[in-house]
Order: sequence, then structure tokens, then C-alpha cells
Amino acid sequence: MTKPTQRIADLPAYLSHELRNALACIHQFGNILVDGLAGKLTGEQREYVSIILENASKIRSVLDTALDGVAPAASKIRTKI
Amino acid sequence: MDKTKILVVDDNFTIRKGLSIRLRANGYEVVLAEDAISATAALIAERPDLVLLDLGLPAGDGFVVMDRLHKNDRLSHIPVIVLTGRELAGNRDRALNAGAAAFFQKPVEDGTLLFAIKKALDVSRGELRFDE
Repeated sequence: MTKPTQRIADLPAYLSHELRNALACIHQFGNILVDGLAGKLTGEQREYVSIILENASKIRSVLDTALDGVAPAASKIRTKI
Repeated sequence: MDKTKILVVDDNFTIRKGLSIRLRANGYEVVLAEDAISATAALIAERPDLVLLDLGLPAGDGFVVMDRLHKNDRLSHIPVIVLTGRELAGNRDRALNAGAAAFFQKPVEDGTLLFAIKKALDVSRGELRFDE
């Protein structure tokens, strides 16, 4: 397999690992704040953290759709060459 | 009565810290490992009740850790829940076939993970069958 083709085939795995780990950190600590595990939030603070979490969930949905669709195709590229 | 002990294995410090805060808030004792070697050492030294295992690790991946655990008669009963950033294809089936009690992609909802932990512990203690 040529190097550019290898890089294309590896891209979904790379993106999945890097983006999911970053999203997991946002989710974990956002929920830690909302649940009051680091102290009680004001109503306004809770609202803002909830906005962060909602948007992290949207990114996650995009990732699930995009990467789970891309990964099998990349596997085919890998086996064909 | 001793607290239920969970070994969290992840090479990402922030994820280890976040999981640790969440699990301790739910009454679990937590021990941490950041690679396959320290995970194997912690399994032997700490004898956790359950392992939360990332797949992408330095010094051997999560599959290496599961293989070592299942080949050791004194450790093989410990349930493993895989929590990974890796893609589904090629990893979910491999992890479940390797003996993982559950497989989750990051990020996972806290309630979902805590439920899976409780269920895996109940199964390992003989209080519940896998199909319940």
C-alpha cells in the first residue's frame, strides 16, 4: 500500500481516537460540574455548562454517523491493495 | 465492608481523573493505570473487582491486558468493560469475543456506564446471569 493510501485508510481510526477522547473529557467534566461534584453551580452557570454538553452531544452524533460510515470503507481499501 | 474496587486503565490523564471523580462519587474505590504494564501490575497487586479498560495503550494495547488477565487463573474472573476511542469496526466484536463484559465508545453517558458496571459486578458475583 502506498503511503498516501495508507494515510487515508488510517484517517478514520486517528480521528475516532483523538476526537472521541477529547469529547469524553468535555462530557465527563461538564457532567461533573452539572451534578455538583465540584461544588454547587448557580442557575446561570448550570445553563452555560448544559449548552456546552448539548453541543458536545451534537458533535458526537456527527462523529458516530461519519466515522462508523467511513471505517468499513477504509477497511476495504486496506484489503484491496 | 470493603468498597468495590475498580481499576481504570487509560493513557489519558484527564479521562482517568474524570472517571475517578465519577466512580468515587458513586461509592467505588478506584485504582489507576496508564499503560499495559502498569495495568498488569495493578491487576496482580490490587485484585480489583472490575476493570475499565481503554484499548489504545502504550506498552501493549488493551487486548494484551485482557489476554494476560484471562490466562491467569487468579484474575480471569474479573469482569472487563472496554471504554475506547477506537472505531467500532474490528474492535467491538474482537473485544467481546476476547471476553469483555461490555464495549463502549467514548464518550459514554455516565448513567449507561454505571449501569453496565453494576450489571457486570452482579454477574461476576453470581447474582445475575448475562442474559438478564
